[in-house]
Amino acid sequence: MGCSLASSLVDLKKELKRSHDPDFLFIEPSEMVVTQELRDVTAMGLRDIRYDIGPFITLVDGPLFEFLWSERRALLLGQVKNADLVAVSRADSIDVGELNKVQQALAGYCSKVIPLSVRSGDGLAEVVKRVCGEV
Amino acid sequence: MRVVSVSGARGSGKTSLIRELTARLSSKGKSAAVIVNEQGDVAYDQNFIQAHDLQVRTIRGG
Repeated sequence: MGCSLASSLVDLKKELKRSHDPDFLFIEPSEMVVTQELRDVTAMGLRDIRYDIGPFITLVDGPLFEFLWSERRALLLGQVKNADLVAVSRADSIDVGELNKVQQALAGYCSKVIPLSVRSGDGLAEVVKRVCGEV
Repeated sequence: MRVVSVSGARGSGKTSLIRELTARLSSKGKSAAVIVNEQGDVAYDQNFIQAHDLQVRTIRGG
């Protein structure tokens, strides 16, 4: 994320805080942004406005994991490392063996990997707790 | 205001998760806003935005 993008993100954050002050502000970056970069940028702005930070959630596409692991591993790990929660998304589309493979592959890079499916609802309760700061 | 980030590859379900979280938080009386990269903003349609009083901002290139 370049300086101008980081600056734009900080400006938008300030504008939303001042105009609406929502309880929650979600940031959905492009697929090329890694978590540490996002952490650094998210902390910018604290000089001017007050807000709480976290969690940083990384979604790992379950059905696409093999491709991501073989072709885009550096980017994938950049998003997994330093995340507060890593969730294997579309987990209802892969079998238990595949899910175990993903969890084992990522185990050394993050503290916890949970299965998630917005469609079936699996894992959503834990994500909501994290988002609300209850974990 | 609590800033929450949802990262991942394109198609990994970032928007779906944020929509779901927004809907759940909205049902509890909590307000939400989203800063989204330009590839994801189309998924926040006007009906959804109005139903949940969601503020959406787009960041170009980010």
